[in-house]
Parts: sequence; structure tokens; C-alpha cells
Amino acid sequence: MPGRDLFTLLRPTWCPGCGLYGILEALKRAASSLGLDPASVVLVTGIGCHGRFPNYFRSYGFHGLHGRVMPIASGIKMVNPDLTVIGLSGDGDAYSIGLNHLLHAARRNIGILAVVVNNRVFALTQGQASPTSPQGFVSISTPFGTVEPPLDGLQLALSAGATFLARGFSGEVGHLTHLIARGLKHRGFGLIDILSPCVTHNKINTYDWYREHSEILDLTNNLQPDKNQAWHWLTQPDKFFLGVLFEEERESFEELVLPDLNQPIAHLDLKPEPEKIRQLMEIFR
Amino acid sequence: MKQDPSFWTGIRDISILIGGKAGDGVLFTGNVLAKLLKRQGWWAVTYRDFPSNIRGEATQYTVRASLDTVENRGDAVDILLAFDCEAIHKHSLRLNRGGVVLCDGADAAVLPASAGENLASFAFPLRQPARQQFGREIYKNMIALGVLSYLLDLELSNLEAIIRDIYIKRKSEEVIKLNLAAAKFGWEQGQRLIPPEECWPLPRLSDEGRLILSGDEAIALGALAAGCRFFAAYPICPASEIWQWLAPRIKAFGGAVVQVEDELAALNMAIGAAFAGARAMTSTSGPGASLMMEAFSLAGMTETPVVVAHVQRVGPSTGLPTKTQQGDILQWIFGSHGEFPRVVLAPGGVEECFHFTIAAFNLAEKYQGPVIILTDLDMGQNLRTMVMPGSEPWTIDRGRLLSASELEPLKKFRRYEITPDGISPRVIPGTPAGVHVVESVEHDESGLRSEDPGVRTRMMEKRMRKIKAIEADLIPPLIFGDQEAELAILSLGSTRGPILEAMKRCHQEDRKVKFFQVRTLWPFPSQEVNHFLKNVRRLLVVENNYTGQLMTLLQSQVRIDSGLEMEGLRKYSPDNFTPQEVYKALTGMA
Repeated sequence: MPGRDLFTLLRPTWCPGCGLYGILEALKRAASSLGLDPASVVLVTGIGCHGRFPNYFRSYGFHGLHGRVMPIASGIKMVNPDLTVIGLSGDGDAYSIGLNHLLHAARRNIGILAVVVNNRVFALTQGQASPTSPQGFVSISTPFGTVEPPLDGLQLALSAGATFLARGFSGEVGHLTHLIARGLKHRGFGLIDILSPCVTHNKINTYDWYREHSEILDLTNNLQPDKNQAWHWLTQPDKFFLGVLFEEERESFEELVLPDLNQPIAHLDLKPEPEKIRQLMEIFR
Repeated sequence: MKQDPSFWTGIRDISILIGGKAGDGVLFTGNVLAKLLKRQGWWAVTYRDFPSNIRGEATQYTVRASLDTVENRGDAVDILLAFDCEAIHKHSLRLNRGGVVLCDGADAAVLPASAGENLASFAFPLRQPARQQFGREIYKNMIALGVLSYLLDLELSNLEAIIRDIYIKRKSEEVIKLNLAAAKFGWEQGQRLIPPEECWPLPRLSDEGRLILSGDEAIALGALAAGCRFFAAYPICPASEIWQWLAPRIKAFGGAVVQVEDELAALNMAIGAAFAGARAMTSTSGPGASLMMEAFSLAGMTETPVVVAHVQRVGPSTGLPTKTQQGDILQWIFGSHGEFPRVVLAPGGVEECFHFTIAAFNLAEKYQGPVIILTDLDMGQNLRTMVMPGSEPWTIDRGRLLSASELEPLKKFRRYEITPDGISPRVIPGTPAGVHVVESVEHDESGLRSEDPGVRTRMMEKRMRKIKAIEADLIPPLIFGDQEAELAILSLGSTRGPILEAMKRCHQEDRKVKFFQVRTLWPFPSQEVNHFLKNVRRLLVVENNYTGQLMTLLQSQVRIDSGLEMEGLRKYSPDNFTPQEVYKALTGMA
């Protein structure tokens, strides 16, 4: 695709076969398919293998702290709603240390697209179990297998009030491109959970395993505002449904909170306004 | 009736303690009284001693007024307004000789027998008429304010104006009238029960050009003046008043306040907003400050200008959320992981809360990093009188923040360009030619991740160098007292009030004392302290904590002459110092 190179920065250095390659490609294609300008996109990442994205994807980037992608992204969106703000996380980042932030971002319906690279393991720290690891997952941190069942970020986000929910697979780049593009066009908060094999630390959830355990939903671009249907898709045992699982139109947080969407806080011409301040001082007379 | 205070030979200073239970309206009554005294032309200050409780536990609020500037509650109480028996019991023996107890007639039986010789006491119908004539017991507060207005000869028209200001948007005209009628009823009760010779008439002077407000409110006002247009915060005592004051007012300035899920989010969100171009801020206390330590170093590493107001309370852990302390002096200087430059400002009065907040934003953008405004509960929540700022217009200096047109002529933009002063050009997202990455990982000049040892070394030096570049802009210390004095005090923040008053007493006795008020806590003013200590033989370091954090800092940053006798005056009970405590320490030393 011609425009995709506009979003290319450095060559990535992930393990050969890592699902992140497909996600990077899908993100570049989605951004170029929408005709976005790299200068109007901000990509915020957390800590993990995904965190390097801003070194590879050319746009404004903020590589922050582990788990704090949503607050950083929210601050950016609030002061400049004209920007396309993408919050890219891993499953550890979004669903473990940063879960609180994710749910509150969903609840606010702030105009951020959260993209979670879900490889079901803490990869950069050498392979500990994550909150999405399958039950019984044997790892360096769980030598006898995990006893906790995995959690599903999409289920939680649905109950928290997210207005766009999708599941993708890094082995299906074309499909994923379509999901990301739709998510980027969505008005409020969106979450795309991307099943992404970790070829080094997760020998169970491989590309083949996902192909056996997933099904691409044949869905059009229409809204999918049926929560019950979404819940059904999200709760089938051993089966991941890929596609836009839920989408509804609702006013976003920034639309409700900001005094003037046409006058982003980031672009205010700041001057001392002694007269206005002096008026406020009257309260303290 | 306007009088010149210098001719006034009557009362120059008065303290009124209001005691009751949480939920009684003690705070409301005290705040109205303080405002009333301020409008009478007196310097008013309040001191709260509240439990962390909404209803039922004992609570007390002191309102002090003086013809001279005053910033502390003083040593004793002249008038006790007691809303229940417990308050009479607890406080009546603390009154100065000749003091007055005002209470409800129903509680008068518990007045201690010994009180009669030294005190005047007046029992009023309070709760019963409040219920019967005005419909709710809460009107007792207005009745009491009426009684006090009679006793002190406070102008009733001021009381009416204050009540109207408070209630104008929230209550109906009917409710306002009922309040004023209750106050008038109180005044008449005073007239009926207090003989004229027992009254304490305060002269009526001009309060032109003065404000009465809390440190939290002054910080909020300063933030607006500074161009702060984004505030993210989580509720916590005693810092919430800052953003709660801003919340309804920032919209008119085009900004927004967001209540977030926790303090981790608060500082990170402010950092995101600042990165994107806003002047952004958060505020916190106690455990919230601990949570912010994580993002604090993120601001340092990414070189994001952000402002945090920390209103200290009693710790450790949950501590005493509604009581004052200075136990977190070292937290922002040495806290968080890794090394990065930071600036910590410590206002010693409400006027400094206002001005330092403006300075904080300018400093943050000039050196591109975090600036902390460190106060405490006494400063943050109590009211103090100040001269209205604004005679000298303040400036907004955004440092090396480049607009799109300023960026254009530059051949190459590198966000972390290594410059002689360490400060690099900055652009906000959306700027066409400025696309770049901000990295929490060590990075090169363009912002890309780097583990190269040379890059790491140079970037570390670049960041640390920045603080030198703003040295000239840092707020200098204030020195009070006799320059030649061999006896000296070093302190910071809200202890200034009791210290200055103790010094006044020393001055009256011809004891020479001087006082170094640390205002920029970090970078520590080592040179100025060195200069200050030249002729000093004895130094008292006054601080509201156990371990002597300010003294520890002083010892680590200044070469102390072995001939200097240094002593710490520390208090870790949940109260600020009284002037007498400082005075005793000073005279005990001299």
C-alpha cells in the first residue's frame, strides 16, 4: 500500500515470527487508508515488547510507564481532541498493572483507541504468566501452572461502558487493518484486543492454535449495538470470535467536558489576564 | 466610624474559639466570623482542629484577628463560643483572664465554678429559638454570629453582605432573610444580656486592598493566573479544595478539571496534557504523593513541565488526614527512582501560595521538568489575610516551546538536542515538522531509545545541567529580623506565622534574632544560608516533624562551621507551633 511508508520509522527488532510485526503492519495500513497525517497522530505505549512501537511507527509518540498508557493518552486527548490518540498496550500493561485506568477510560468513553497486544504472557521480563494466560499455564513464575482463570479485557470493557469493542488476530493482517481503521473512526473509547502469539515464551497459544480456536465473523460496517450478542461472542468456551463485537454511538468524554471543542486547550494563547483574575478575587473580599 | 489603628489603645488582638461537634456548622460560623473581622479592617486568620469525621465528633475552630499582620492562631483564647457542654468543659479553662464564654442557656450548668472569678460567661437562647422561631437548629450559628457581632461591635451590614455572597446562588431569598433575621435576633439577645461594660468593641477600619483566603484557594487562583488550563486530581484531604475551587471556574478560561481514578492517573494525565501543550497540574497529600512518585520521574526523564501541589498532612500511612504536619519535606527532593532535576517551592503565606504557583509554571516550562509546591494543612485549609496581588502584573514564560512558524527555519528539530544549558527545543503534537518521540527509556537527542553508554552519559549530564540555567529565576529566601543577630532561626512554610510573632516578643525585650525563611526548598539555597550563618552562633531549625528533615537537608547541603550551635525545634503532635513555643525555645537558647 503506497501511503504506509509515511508511517515507517526504524526497522523493528522483535523475535522473528512475533505477532507484533503483523500489528505494526496493520496499524500503518489502517492509518494510511484513512489518510492520516503522522503529525496529527499520537501513539502512546506502555512497557513490554509492544512499547518500542513509537520507534518503528512514525507519528508523535509517548513511550511512558508500565500500565499508565490510558492516563497519558487521556491527558493528550483532553487538551487536543483534534489529535488521533492511540493507546497501545500489552496484556500485562493493560489488564494487570493498568486495569484500573483501562476501565475508567472505558467508563468515560474518552476518544482514545486502546489497542492491546495480547500474547498472554509477560514476554520482555522473560516469560512470566499474565492475567490472560490460560489456566494451568506453566511458566518461569508459575512452575506448577497458573491456578487463576484468565480474564478477558473485552468483557470487562463492555461492562465498564466502552462503545467500541473488537477482537483481532495478528496472523490476519488484512482483517486487523480493517478493525483498526474502524476503531480509529469511532467517536468515543474503543478497545481492540489482538490475539498475538509470543513465539519465544508462549508455546501453547501459537498461530496454529489460534487458527483452530477462532472464527472470523462476517460483519458489515454497521453498528453492532447489541450487548447481549457481544456478551455471547465473548463467553464461548475455547472460541475467539474475531471482528467488531460491539459498537454504539455515545457522546465522548471530551465532548461533554470541554468548554469548546473548536478551541483546544493546547492551542490557547496564554496571557496574564489580570482583570479576570481580579474579578475572581472579589470572592475573597 | 473609621479610626487610625495607631491611636487605638483598646484591644489590638483577639482570639475566638468556636467549639462543637462535626456537623454543627463550626466551620461555617468561623469562616463567616473571619470574613466579618477582615471586613472590619482587621487582619484575620483561622486555625482548624477538626476530626476526620462528618458528624458527631468534637471539633474546634479558632478565629484570630489583629490590628497588625498575623499568620497564626496565637497562644490563648479570649472568647469561647461553645455549642455544647463538651466544648465548655474542654476549653473554658484555656481562656485568658477576663475572657468570655458564650453558650446555650441549656448548657450553662456545666460552666466550671472556678471560671466565675476570671471569666465572664453569658448564656443565650440558641438551639431552642433556632428550632422554634427559625425552623431548624442550624440557625443557632446565625444567632451566635449575631451575639458575637454585638459583643465585638461588628458591622451587621457586613454580615448581611457576606451571607448574601455565600447563599446568593444556592439558597432562596427567603432562606437568606431567615438567616439575617436569626443574626438580628442574636444581636438583640446580646443587647439584652451583655452589659455595655462587658463588650469588646473593635474599631472599624478600612480593609481596602485585602483578601482573606486559604492557601489552597490561593494556589487555585495562582494556577488560573498562570494559565493552568488542565487539572487532573483525586480527592484527598487537605488538597481537594484546590481543584474543587477551580472546577466551576476554569471553564470560563477555556480549561477543564478532571477527577480521575487515582493519583497514578492524576499525575500521568497531567503529564500527558503538558506534553500535548497545556499548562497542567495536579494536587495531592499523604498516600497520594507516594503514588505520584512513579510518574514524578517520568516527568523528569521525558522533560515534561508539570506542576504538583502537595499539601502535607500527618503521616505515616493514613496518619491523621485532617491534621497538619511537615513530614514530607524530603519526599520530593529525594523521592522516586533514578536521578533527575526537580524544583520544590515552599510558600510561607497565602500571598506566596499565589505568586509561587505562577512562578512554578514558568520554572517548569523554562527548565522543562516537574515543579512541586509544598505546603501543609495549616497553610492549605486555614484562612489568612493578604494584600491583594496584581499591582505588578505577572508574566507567562513558556520557555523554549516553539510554535510551527518558529520551528520552520530550524534545519533539524531534535526534541532532546544537547545544548549548552541542557534545555532543548520543544514542540507540541500536531506541529507539522516536529514529529518526534518522547521516551521514558534512555534515549538519544531525537528521542529514540538508546543503550549506548556515551549517549546515556551525555543525556544524564544534559538533564542535570538544566537546573543551573534557571538558578537566577528561583525564588530567593526571605530574611527577617536583625542582620547582626547571633541567634537565628531557619524554617519553611506555615511556621512563619508563629516564628515572626515570637521574634516580635524577643524584639520587645531587645533580644536580637533573625530568621531565614527557605522559599525554594530545592535546589537548596546553600550559598544564601552560608551567608546568613556568618555571624550566627546559635541556630534553631524549626519544623513540624519528628526526624528533623529540614535540618538533615541543611547538614547535607551546607558546610556547617563547627562553632555553630544547632538545635532543632520539632513538633510532631498534630498542630502547628504556637508563638510561645518558639519564643521559649529561642529564649531558652539565648
